[in-house]
Amino acid sequence: MFKAIVSAETLTSALDSVSVLVDECKIHLEEDGLEIRAVDPANVGMVDLSLDAAAFESYEADGGLIGVDLSRLEDIAGMAESGQLIQLELDEETRKLQIQIDGLEYTLALIDPDSIRQEPDIPDLDLPAEVVLEGKDVNRSVTAADMVSDHIALGVEEGDEYFYVDAEGDTDDVHLELTGEDLIDLQVGPAHSLFSLDYLKDMNKAIPKDTEVTLHLGEEFPVKIYFGFAEGQGQVTYMLAPRIQSE
Amino acid sequence: MEFATFADRAAAIEAEPADLEIVAHVRDLLEDAGDPESTDNGADDRIATVEIVARFVQGRVFPAWDSTTLDIGPSACYEAIARAAGQNVDADDVEERLADVGEIGDVAASYDFGGQRGLSAFAAGQGVGDNDLTVREVHDELVDLAAAEGEGSEDRKVDILFGLFNRCSSDEARYLARLVLSEMRIGVGEGTVRDAVAAAFDVPEERVERALQVSNDYGEVARVARDEGLEGLDAMELAVGRPVQAMLAQAGTVTDALEEWEQAAVEWKYDGARIQLHYDPDGLESAAGEASDATTRVFSRNMEDVTGALPEVVEFAEGTLEGPAILDGEVVAVDEDGDPLPFQEVLKRFRRKHDVAKAREDVSVRPVFFDCLHADGDDLLEEPLTARHDRLEGVLADGPQQDPDDVDGLSLLWLADDPDEIESIDAAALEAGHEGIMLKNPDSAYSPGRRGKHWRKRKPDVETLDCVVTGAEWGEGRRATFLGTFELSVRDEATGDLETVGKVATGITDEKLADLTERLEPHIAAEEGQEVDLEPAVVFEVGYEEIQTSPTYSSGYALRFPRFIAVRDDKEPGDADTLERVERLRS
Repeated sequence: MFKAIVSAETLTSALDSVSVLVDECKIHLEEDGLEIRAVDPANVGMVDLSLDAAAFESYEADGGLIGVDLSRLEDIAGMAESGQLIQLELDEETRKLQIQIDGLEYTLALIDPDSIRQEPDIPDLDLPAEVVLEGKDVNRSVTAADMVSDHIALGVEEGDEYFYVDAEGDTDDVHLELTGEDLIDLQVGPAHSLFSLDYLKDMNKAIPKDTEVTLHLGEEFPVKIYFGFAEGQGQVTYMLAPRIQSE
Repeated sequence: MEFATFADRAAAIEAEPADLEIVAHVRDLLEDAGDPESTDNGADDRIATVEIVARFVQGRVFPAWDSTTLDIGPSACYEAIARAAGQNVDADDVEERLADVGEIGDVAASYDFGGQRGLSAFAAGQGVGDNDLTVREVHDELVDLAAAEGEGSEDRKVDILFGLFNRCSSDEARYLARLVLSEMRIGVGEGTVRDAVAAAFDVPEERVERALQVSNDYGEVARVARDEGLEGLDAMELAVGRPVQAMLAQAGTVTDALEEWEQAAVEWKYDGARIQLHYDPDGLESAAGEASDATTRVFSRNMEDVTGALPEVVEFAEGTLEGPAILDGEVVAVDEDGDPLPFQEVLKRFRRKHDVAKAREDVSVRPVFFDCLHADGDDLLEEPLTARHDRLEGVLADGPQQDPDDVDGLSLLWLADDPDEIESIDAAALEAGHEGIMLKNPDSAYSPGRRGKHWRKRKPDVETLDCVVTGAEWGEGRRATFLGTFELSVRDEATGDLETVGKVATGITDEKLADLTERLEPHIAAEEGQEVDLEPAVVFEVGYEEIQTSPTYSSGYALRFPRFIAVRDDKEPGDADTLERVERLRS
């Protein structure tokens, strides 16, 4: 059993943050909210999302599992105007999702969850550095790096206590430092890792510019990117594996 | 089996010049493929590694009967390579390197992959060494890649491929790139795999060959040979719903056909597109072995499913056939009177996926069948052609008494040992608007995928000759008042004389004979018995199979199987072809 009413903004934010990594996903319809975990086909980037029941106008579920085509569902959610509510209801008989936006009714065929790539185990990482910054600064870092390179290094300078971004292109380089003043919070620790911008650019798209973003970093370790949405009732954690740093 | 092992063996095969050694390598590869690794839930319905290896080694991911493709273009592959190659390499760089190196495998092998680590390397309890690709994993990822469709599928394909390349060593990358772009080319042909299966699992080659013909899947045959032995191989049958390769024809002549066979089976050659019809009134299994409601599927020569494009064929099958059958034939475009239209018209219909009903209004098609591979539970591949044709007639006919001429959708078959008779069948075929004739060995089996000597399409005339008619004979019986058997001559420019090159008697209808007699009679110069000498006046365009030297005719040459094509009203005897041209055409 699953029946929920949710604002278009909340649903769209949730879907967008998953669809930057995968086209199809499994959605766990838990009693206390939705949960989605997915990893990209190359097993490099992962998303772990939860959307609490409190983020919905109304929410009833008893622990089912459905598989959805994300771009379809995003298209439907895109039909709603700002501030409109979307009603979702699972038809257990037909295994279809009934979606209602005012007078618009859409019946979405679901995907067999077994045919969707297995959900990842979430690595339990002990990452020594923690950087808390605004979404717009993440965007600025990624955009700057993307001008010169397809890779980005993220690190923390322990002595002078700042977070930095490096990108080396064939000819041009970018270096950005964010000190305590620019950051919301910083816990220093040994941290320097190189990441593919292909992934980070996509993840950046889903990060609201005005939100607080927490980065967990280590030496040659994955980065964990955490942010909330829907007034904190939705949580997204991305995890991105590093590239080996050459030379 | 690890993909690295496969890549090692593939490299060894590629480096090996001797065919027998290549077979030995492939044999080892099949033997070492091993059993499928067990899964957690016990029962393993996954594909066996030996099947994958038997396909990969030929550069295939899917069975030969399966028209599924990876549907990934070179540029997407370059992009995936670029992403795996590391910092600031883009698809253009890969393409540039390809232009230098010349081969995608070498390009892929030239990069140092693996820069991007996977999350699993950091997952709790998993070692970093867990990252080695297996043959099975490569297969499963490629199947996923092929299945990606719709919006964003191109990106998804690149992602999957990037994930694979990222885990490749240089040799692995070489063969992965080639596999993905269907450029394996390590010198392993179909015969190699057949012989290797036979050697690896100790079964006779010809039984492997038979199993390959009916199943059209090297992978399945390798697995069955290994797991079920000869008994299993021999039990393999045609599956109605799963296409087999079409038997093909080579070019040939009437002369050769009649020299090699006591008589030739002659059929009209239709100017259409080859189809294989699969029908089962109880519903076909899909090619993958799943039950379905569909009763009819139609495949192209390349085993592409063209059912949707050809509703007439489906309607024909449903209206005509009673039991399960696999029929081989052509689909021909026809005009309102049912007369054939040129091949281009068929193409307007053949692979169409949209607006079929509309296209059908413009051009309609009809099927004509000339062979029967399976009927009512019997596989007929090994039956002689004549027996198969009898079954075909039985399958298509309304009742046992029906005249073959009236059987809808049946291509007629004549047994002939006389060149003239064959010529008249050819003439009739051409007259009816078809391409000519096929000559087949009446005793031959159906050999899927083989372009053998048993089927020959009559070589089209290389060039026609314009000859002066210099003589004729009065006919006999019904044709006593007509001139026939026309003597043909060409000009010797050096002497200005006309020299004979042969006589033409075939390719002419009664109506035409009357017309020709009327034209030629005024030019009769002398008569002796039935023989008539003619003043040079009329020019014939004639076809022939070849020109040979001959003491019989004054030119020193003779046209073999000359065939009347037309009167060249536009030509005077002085414009007819020369002896020099005859000599040139012969050489």
